[in-house]
Amino acid sequence: MRPPSQGVQIAGSLLVALAIAAVAIAVVTAHFGPTASAELEAREERVEQRLEAREERAEQREERREEAAKR
Amino acid sequence: MERLIEDLTNGNVTEVKVVLATVIVALAVYQLVLAAVSYGKLRPRFLESGPATWAHRASGDAILVLAVLVAVACVGFYGFEEGGAHAVFGCLVLAALALKVLAVRIGGSSSPFLPWIGIALFALFAATWLTSAGDFLGVG
Repeated sequence: MRPPSQGVQIAGSLLVALAIAAVAIAVVTAHFGPTASAELEAREERVEQRLEAREERAEQREERREEAAKR
Repeated sequence: MERLIEDLTNGNVTEVKVVLATVIVALAVYQLVLAAVSYGKLRPRFLESGPATWAHRASGDAILVLAVLVAVACVGFYGFEEGGAHAVFGCLVLAALALKVLAVRIGGSSSPFLPWIGIALFALFAATWLTSAGDFLGVG
């Protein structure tokens, strides 16, 4: 069997290098999981939003109670 | 400098450094295979010596750029103080890279020192990775 042309061999070798880099990035990124700061920031933001919503509900409840007391 | 590195990595300086260092080591292993094909030590049917040499150089150029980026991030953000063995290996990697480029420029690609410098460079890359990224990933 004849080997492929030199251009194809070079392109193939470079594609293999790209694939190796991509696999290395994927494996290490998967290893980190949700410890990345972007993920942590998103999580903190969700917690803050939940706290704000809870405070808002508490305030509304308080207002309703005050109104009921006035009547 | 610290601020710039932190902004560029979106606050994930260590993570970005670990990913780039791992890519470098993975490509360095591939470089060994390409060099073996290039010197005729490995003779796969689908890859000849010429294209392997070309790919070895192209991949090596990419590794050089990545290694300089990681080194700048490492020294610029963490400094030398707490580096220990990692800092020593890192400096030796850059010295070996410079030596390899010099050997190619002066002696050409047929320089008898090239394979030895290449093997030393691979060992230094592995040692640098093991003392930082490998340690961080629980390998070193």
